[in-house]
Amino acid sequence: MKNRKKRKRVIRRPVDTFKYIIRKVLLLLMAVIVTFPLFYMIVSSFFTPKEFSRLSIWPSSFVWANYAKALGHRHFGSYVLNSIGTSALAAVIRTAVIVSAAFAFTHLRFKGKTVILTALILTLFVPQEAILYQNYRTVASLGLIDTWAGIISTSLFSAAQMLLLMGSFHAIGKEPYDAARIDGATDIRYIWNILVPLSAPAVITVMIQTLITVFNSYLWPLLVTNRPASRTIQVGITMLGFAESGDIGAQMAALVIVTVPFLIVLAFTKKRIQTALIRR
Amino acid sequence: MQEKENKMKNITYVNLTLAFELSYILFQNKELNISYALTGSTKTITVPHVTRARRILHTAKPYLFIAPAVLLASVFCWIPAAKGFIESFITVNQAGSIVGFAGFSNYRILFSDKAFLNSLKVTAVFVLLFVPLNTFLTLFAASLTRRKSRLSFVPEYLFFSPVAVSLSAYSLLFREIFRGKASVINRILGISAPWLTDPAGAMITLAVLGVFLDFGIDYILLMCAFRSLDKDVLDAARVDGAGGRRLFFDIELPMVRETVLVTVFLALKDALLISAPIIILTEGGPFRSTETIMFYYYVEAFRSGNRAVQNALSSLVLTIAATAMTVFHLSRRRKKS
Repeated sequence: MKNRKKRKRVIRRPVDTFKYIIRKVLLLLMAVIVTFPLFYMIVSSFFTPKEFSRLSIWPSSFVWANYAKALGHRHFGSYVLNSIGTSALAAVIRTAVIVSAAFAFTHLRFKGKTVILTALILTLFVPQEAILYQNYRTVASLGLIDTWAGIISTSLFSAAQMLLLMGSFHAIGKEPYDAARIDGATDIRYIWNILVPLSAPAVITVMIQTLITVFNSYLWPLLVTNRPASRTIQVGITMLGFAESGDIGAQMAALVIVTVPFLIVLAFTKKRIQTALIRR
Repeated sequence: MQEKENKMKNITYVNLTLAFELSYILFQNKELNISYALTGSTKTITVPHVTRARRILHTAKPYLFIAPAVLLASVFCWIPAAKGFIESFITVNQAGSIVGFAGFSNYRILFSDKAFLNSLKVTAVFVLLFVPLNTFLTLFAASLTRRKSRLSFVPEYLFFSPVAVSLSAYSLLFREIFRGKASVINRILGISAPWLTDPAGAMITLAVLGVFLDFGIDYILLMCAFRSLDKDVLDAARVDGAGGRRLFFDIELPMVRETVLVTVFLALKDALLISAPIIILTEGGPFRSTETIMFYYYVEAFRSGNRAVQNALSSLVLTIAATAMTVFHLSRRRKKS
């Protein structure tokens, strides 16, 4: 520790103090720009309609009236419920689908394996946006409009995440599998009791990623929901009708309610994500 | 974790010798038959029957495991893509039934639509505005925080925080912040730009919104790439007298080139496929100035119900996307080897 400090002092020249200050100023400026929309979202959720037209950037008083209005919206509860329900369901189903496929591709031998795997990976080359209408027709003909199944239908498989899990399963190797088989464990039991616990970080990553992706998706839920009560929060929040009736404060309060939980989650998971991304 | 591993090892060791033969027989039916045959046992008449059922199950098992994935990929990816491609060469009437072979006439209709040609132009402008801006700003933020220090977690969190804000939340916020001449942003900057009420202003607002939507994830990728650099190489460069700017531009930046390329590619993909923020922010306006290709597709498919144009466009986008991604992957692979 002492050594390192000494070395730094040796390397830093007097010119660096000036550079250091410039760097910090730039950093501050950048931070202000990046966080401004979030800052404005939070402060303006306390604004009265008058303060919006006066273009204030600080509320005259911190009253919770806007929050009460947002929470009191007729469909706000069902929006939140739909979002939580669909994202949780999608996370569980997608993980199950991907785990089982990744298991088969890494542990079992069968005819056509390479061809099928390649076909699955090639789905990465098809952007969902380009087949939106065809998918909409499929879901509509299955009678899944306005249902949770319709909302999650297109996000139940992800080739990218399957590759992630395959990598993790591959790292575990085949020895535990052979041992488990010799002990008479079925494949399902092996997956549930050994494979998933051993590759827990990857499996949890897949689940969280899916949860966030489905929770935050906008275009697809917009297309497959017609009834207000079956909308998700991301769609519903644009249709609250507050902004149209001049009640922008309530709109902002609704945005805060939806965003702040994720900001808190991010504070706790940031370090994990970082350590996963930094390769040493 | 450790406990589980130990437990597993124990089970393995204890049972290995005892259970080996029995389980082997249980699992490898094929070999079982052979061994029975070899030992001349004649009481196996019923066994082949069971074995066959088991063997079928054994062969079918891998397919059962991949069935859900294959089914989902087919129903929501391959079949719609193929259907769109085929239907783009077919004339479909209002009721949705096939009238006849159309050849390239659907594509001709598409390319003679002024709105489509306009959307091509709008998308090109958006790409040229958004991709450089996004690359520069994310790289700038990442380079400012590339060294870890005691308090660096604060700017890191702030720069990363946009990932927690959803697309619709940012779009709604921008609709308010950049709403026109009388807007918060004008008050802070002390200018009176028309922003969303003006074609050029709306495009700039959209590009800035795009940066915010991609900022968090691009930043964290780049920042972590900088931190993953080999410390010894950097120290060696410092010893050789490379400091500050030279160290950054000649050594660090080239070393994170791969990650920069990934973020540029992601930005390019997002820019070409952008539609959802436009639906909330501008509705394509003012005067169709922000009507990108995918917004045009959304309007034609879901509001006008224009099948001919929609299928042709869908196939076109698919082809371009597939080509672009193939090129990207091939170029990356070549670089690696």
